Amino acid sequence: MSPAAVTVERLEKTLGANKVLRGISFEARAGEIFGLLGPNGAGKTTTLRIICTLLSPDAGTVEVLGFGTLTTPEQVRRRLGVVTADIGVYPRLSARENIEYVAMLCGLAGAELARKVDGVIERFDMGSFAKQRAESLSSGQKQKVAIARAIVHDPDVLMFDEPTSNLDVLASKEVREFMVEAKGRGKCVIFSTHVMHDAERLCDRVTIIHHGLVVAYGSVDEVRGEQRDLEASFLALVERT
Amino acid sequence: MGAAWIVYRKELREVLRDRRTLIAIGLAALATPLVLTAISQVSNKTATQTYTIGYSGEIPVGLDLLLQATSLKLMPVADPAAAAKQQVDLGVVFLPKEIDEYYDPSRQGAQIADVRLQTVLGQYDAAQGAAALESRGIDPGILTPLTLVTHPLSSPVQAAANAFLSFFLPYILITMILTGGFSAALDSSAGERERKTLETLLLTPAPRSRVLLGKIAAITTVSLAAAVAAIGSMFVALTQVSLGSANHISLSPAAVPVMIWLALLIAVSFSSVSLALGTLAKTFRQGQAYVTPLYFITILPASIILFIPDFNPSLAYYLIPILNAVLVLRDAIVHNSIDWTALAVTSLSLLATGALSWLAALRLFTRETLLTKT
Repeated sequence: MSPAAVTVERLEKTLGANKVLRGISFEARAGEIFGLLGPNGAGKTTTLRIICTLLSPDAGTVEVLGFGTLTTPEQVRRRLGVVTADIGVYPRLSARENIEYVAMLCGLAGAELARKVDGVIERFDMGSFAKQRAESLSSGQKQKVAIARAIVHDPDVLMFDEPTSNLDVLASKEVREFMVEAKGRGKCVIFSTHVMHDAERLCDRVTIIHHGLVVAYGSVDEVRGEQRDLEASFLALVERT
Repeated sequence: MGAAWIVYRKELREVLRDRRTLIAIGLAALATPLVLTAISQVSNKTATQTYTIGYSGEIPVGLDLLLQATSLKLMPVADPAAAAKQQVDLGVVFLPKEIDEYYDPSRQGAQIADVRLQTVLGQYDAAQGAAALESRGIDPGILTPLTLVTHPLSSPVQAAANAFLSFFLPYILITMILTGGFSAALDSSAGERERKTLETLLLTPAPRSRVLLGKIAAITTVSLAAAVAAIGSMFVALTQVSLGSANHISLSPAAVPVMIWLALLIAVSFSSVSLALGTLAKTFRQGQAYVTPLYFITILPASIILFIPDFNPSLAYYLIPILNAVLVLRDAIVHNSIDWTALAVTSLSLLATGALSWLAALRLFTRETLLTKT
């Protein structure tokens, strides 16, 4: 079994008057796709935001490859790549400039910067629009830019938060293929989604969150249990709680 | 390469491709010459315009020639008092030993014609008196037993020009620093939230203080560029248009470094404040609503010189941001001298303002609700 890349322990968080997380714990390992599942509002995005240091937990701890999010947030961010459903790109920068900007802020420079940027542009077949301003790109092309800039610094942990929710079938397929490829290269991939079909196809292990609590945790087979598929299992768990 | 420098370069690159900011800077450069040209045309028109005097009675010999030479046209009317209400600028009744004048003080043309008439009559009276004395063999000099000889300590023309500049330059400097950077500040804060790029930026390992530093430095650069464009075009315009005394304008050597130093301090403060306000907004449009009052708050101190030209404040007044910069610039422009104590107090006040604005911006930029409230 691979060592834990991300360790979340007894995480609690309140946003405004809403107690979003009530003691979430799980581990995600290198070389696996770990599903963070739950209905909308369950606390998936809040959990991911705490892992990537955008939010601080009220209680509990998170470690990414041994670095604590509260004690060494910059070291944590250096090892993370995050792709969200909201594809925010700088409209007046070209696709390449968008990627370069993030890469430079991640510490890449000189020949290494050019090599890695060229690498992701080639990987996602972005050569035809790399010099085009982002404002003129399609949603699928923007999503490629978003993924490329998230991985350009070659992070060991990749987090995808509902990455296909705004994409068409072809673009969604490419995202899924990339997640599988990243897993094959030994990366820890955390995949947050409410689409159980995607989770069942892609994930090795999952945790299901509901009302800020973990209601199921284990391999896809373990969580599916006696139910016909993960969705049926998910519905049964959610209705029970 | 430092994170602040990376952010700075990227922000400037975006600004140079942003039509809104470029238009703001372009307007800043164009607005001043346009305003000065308009002032020049109105002022020239007023100076050369012929005004009409509706009169009745016998015009004293020679007075008609003097009036025409002063662009006062004579027109016979039946009732000068009635005519002065609308038909002509002044109504005058010439009587044997008296001239009755009728004018409406609410009309600018009537006021100018009145001043011209009084001047012409004064000259006419003096010439008539002198001629009468000379015809009797008396020296006309007895009419002026005391002669006033003035010795201005500086060129009156230059003083008038400096007074104009002491109001206009700080006003343009401050408003252009503020408005020139508005668009860049909002684009860099509220714009990032609206486009959903802020999360990506904050996910990088770059410390947020460095990110903020890069953004503020970029906004400061844009603000100063707008101010330089506006002031540069003002000086170019002043060499091209006629503004009477204001044509003799030149910036004193003392004023230039003071202006640059104060502009930098003000720009840093304004950039921090507008960025802080921008981070409170969820959209660019909302950000505009937040920063617009800032314009009115800062314009009041800049206008004080217009309403109280001889305002001589105590040192405590130099603690008030913006007002202190206006006062120091006024002294440097009008008197070509620097009060070092006032400049030190002003610099400290503006540095403290900049530091507080920076801390406020950092606090707002690092709060969790920046990302959780949408």
